[in-house]
Amino acid sequence: MIEAGKKAPGFSLKDQFQREISLSQFNGRRHVLLLFYPLDFTPT
Amino acid sequence: MQALLPRFRAAHTQVLGVSVDSVYCHLNWAKDLGGISFPLLADFHPKGEVARAYGLYLEGAGITDRATVLIDAAGVVRHAASVTPAGQRDIAALAAECERLDGEYSGSVEDFAGPPGLPEGGLLYVKSRCGFSRAALLARDNLQLSERIAVRNVSEDATAREALVKTSGSEQAPCLVIGGDTIQESADIVTRLLEATAPV
Repeated sequence: MIEAGKKAPGFSLKDQFQREISLSQFNGRRHVLLLFYPLDFTPT
Repeated sequence: MQALLPRFRAAHTQVLGVSVDSVYCHLNWAKDLGGISFPLLADFHPKGEVARAYGLYLEGAGITDRATVLIDAAGVVRHAASVTPAGQRDIAALAAECERLDGEYSGSVEDFAGPPGLPEGGLLYVKSRCGFSRAALLARDNLQLSERIAVRNVSEDATAREALVKTSGSEQAPCLVIGGDTIQESADIVTRLLEATAPV
């Protein structure tokens, strides 16, 4: 697992509305909380 | 999660879900949960590539670990923890973690805009047994806009049909009437709703 203090790997992925969302678009604007899920249809 | 979103927003934190499912699975899942307005990202092509970059892809099982990574606005990881695939996240504790980060963060951040940038009093006209109407309805519900945009079914409601013709000049549905605009194509309706609720 990635460790605190490391640079977060960049990414660009589509969301459920087909929007392309990249980590870099939040740079200098927002913190980002990534929730990784094993599969859909499972709890949060 | 959805219930605590205001706390994350106040802490200048964008929540993003990530799994190896396709975007189509996500749309149905989001619908089953009564709408999820934060982005659910499809780490699907190639499968698990982002999870792998974060050291969270479980090769044997072909799934992503149930884990949480908090990244500050400068792109530095501040917190990373796994609760194992079968475990459960403590969302309130995560909100507190984000608030702590935001409190001590000295770089620049932007406030979230207030409620979605849509005029009040929107009306969505739909037809029964119409895939385009369903697509428009699904977008409205998933984007948590049910309270802001009322629905009128012109297949069942003659008064609504007359009102639609009076407003748009035709019986074509779906049709979104909002803030003086009349939007007739389902793709254009979805685009309008997405623009009003875009993450940044």
